Amino acid sequence: MKRIAFLLVVLTMLLSACAPSVATPAQPAATNPPVATDAPLVAGEFDINNWDIVLAAAKGQTVNWYIWGGSDSINAFVDNFYGKALKERYGITLNRVPIADTADAVNQVLSEKQAGKEIGAVDMIWINGENFFTLKQASLLYPDWAQKLPNSKYVNWGNPAINLDFGHPVDSMESPWSSAQFQFVYDSARIKADELPHSYADLKTWACAHPGRFTYIAPGPGGFLGTRFVKGALYEISGGAEQWQKFDQAAWDKWSPELWKYLNELKPCLWRNGETYAKDEAELKNLFANNEVDFSMTNDITGAGTGIAAGLLPATSRAFVFDKYMIGDFNYVAIPLNAPNKAAALVLANLLLEPEFQAAQILPENGFGLGYAIDVTLVTDSAALSALQSASTKLGDSATPASDLAKSLVGDTAAEYQNLVEQDWVTNVLQAK
Amino acid sequence: MKRITAYSLRAVLYFILIAPLLLFAAYAFSTRWFFPQPFPVEWTTITFLRAINDSRTLSSMAQGIWIAILVSVLSLMLALPAARVQGLREFRGRQLAWLLLFLPTIIPPLAIGMGLNILFLRIGLAGTIAGVVLAHIIPTLPYTIFTLSSAFARFDENYEFQALALGASPWQIFLKVTLRMMTPSLVVATLFAFLISWSQYLLTLLIGGGQIITLPILLFSAASGGNPSTIATLSLLFVAPPVMVIAFTARSLSQHDNEIREQY
Repeated sequence: MKRIAFLLVVLTMLLSACAPSVATPAQPAATNPPVATDAPLVAGEFDINNWDIVLAAAKGQTVNWYIWGGSDSINAFVDNFYGKALKERYGITLNRVPIADTADAVNQVLSEKQAGKEIGAVDMIWINGENFFTLKQASLLYPDWAQKLPNSKYVNWGNPAINLDFGHPVDSMESPWSSAQFQFVYDSARIKADELPHSYADLKTWACAHPGRFTYIAPGPGGFLGTRFVKGALYEISGGAEQWQKFDQAAWDKWSPELWKYLNELKPCLWRNGETYAKDEAELKNLFANNEVDFSMTNDITGAGTGIAAGLLPATSRAFVFDKYMIGDFNYVAIPLNAPNKAAALVLANLLLEPEFQAAQILPENGFGLGYAIDVTLVTDSAALSALQSASTKLGDSATPASDLAKSLVGDTAAEYQNLVEQDWVTNVLQAK
Repeated sequence: MKRITAYSLRAVLYFILIAPLLLFAAYAFSTRWFFPQPFPVEWTTITFLRAINDSRTLSSMAQGIWIAILVSVLSLMLALPAARVQGLREFRGRQLAWLLLFLPTIIPPLAIGMGLNILFLRIGLAGTIAGVVLAHIIPTLPYTIFTLSSAFARFDENYEFQALALGASPWQIFLKVTLRMMTPSLVVATLFAFLISWSQYLLTLLIGGGQIITLPILLFSAASGGNPSTIATLSLLFVAPPVMVIAFTARSLSQHDNEIREQY
């Protein structure tokens, strides 16, 4: 009996010794100056329309940013640029939470909701598309803030590519961070620029002339570049991108057999006869770098530049696009409704749009590699404007020329097509005899 | 002849153990190592130093080790009485007890983790070290109990009775007789608990909710990015503590082995 009592005492001691070390940081009331609004503010609350109060409330908070952590260079960019600036300028600590898949963060928020937890763990998520749609549908997003950020004046909210995320209205529930566009990567030491295909039809001819030297990423969660590749083919086959911006089952039923026909004709010419595909961007990059296939794919505005700088691609890698139907989009940050440090998250979301950081994010040597979220023409400060303009001229040979990108740019499909493309591809292409 | 066979067998074993580590090292300290180059051409310490100097890497290791130690201690404390009863006593429902104790090895950790996460969120344990430690005990317990109970099955209680007859207090008996005789199995059980806890990814991710970062979390996240240098660096850091723990315990085990042999 004594022994049991002893065990219990030790157990309790051990457990209390490791009590929550990451307690939710309380928002100190002292840092909240009194405000003259109709509704008196409770400690920790803030009025988003008064930015000074947001800054004061954010001071001393830790912002837990759940962000895909698969790229060292992006991780370093986030820590070195935003982490430092948040600390030095606003007294905010950045806790970058690396996740293997954005859906992990979405599940965390969903579980918290299920457990009825008013104060969660997630302050901000790097998000777009279906993950945004999932949280928006469940009403788990902090509403009505993105267009109230001071730097939101640089964002062209009239652009449907920004105010619609995979066809779903953003409704000021997420704020853009950067832009991306689908491109191919080739090695200029292996292939001459004038031998490159210029359309999906060309690509099939090229692939069958060089059997086994091309493959794409299997469409699916984690293989979003592959989904994008297949959607581009759908655009070319159906002769336009416009009709796919709104969901239409009849259009899908009409054109999808043509799409599967194209992909199945391509299949025998693919790497390993199309019996298996690269499962994600990392694997395709690896196959390309190790000379198994001749093309890789990327979303980076820097083209192959970021991959070269990170030592993942040969130095002679170059990016290129087809003449048409290269899907581009924006990616965003969102704040869950139960985020413990909303003020700090707002400050961070605002910082992402700061012209100096936008200029820094596209330079290959900084490691992020995605494009601007802001509209350069909306920037009035001449120093900031010239920084942005000079940054975009420094992308080098490994990036696709801006004019080629602009010429081929089309928007993504409505979100409903995402699952259709991914699931039907499996039954109609992967498993097809 | 016999000697040569023994030596070559030994060499093969060493090779099997060391070759993967050498490959990791080659990847960790090189960059742009592409097919068909047989060996890395660009050696660099940048990736390795960046990982080592990243405060996140070190704090994740420290946190992982701390959690693994707590899990080992708690798991032993829970396993010792259970193993003793299971190993020494015959009673109705003993088989049922075995089944219950082994259930965690059969049920997928995802199912346990999702359910536990909701429960822990409600009672405020999610996202805390205490919560992660408790969750890690689930997969470790079957291994510690099994290791200890097989030792108890060979345990002769008469040694304890003898000490009692000679006037030892229950504490003295526990410390000087029971624990001492059980030491080798306790070391093995601790080792199991430590290794299982140290390598947990799913339960740490689910229960820790991103607030508790251990090395496997960083490793999985890096693996999704596919940079071989980073993955290899983190893998080397990941195998380091277990290798050290095994080296250390192997030593103490072989010593105890000798002591026990001397006793008989």
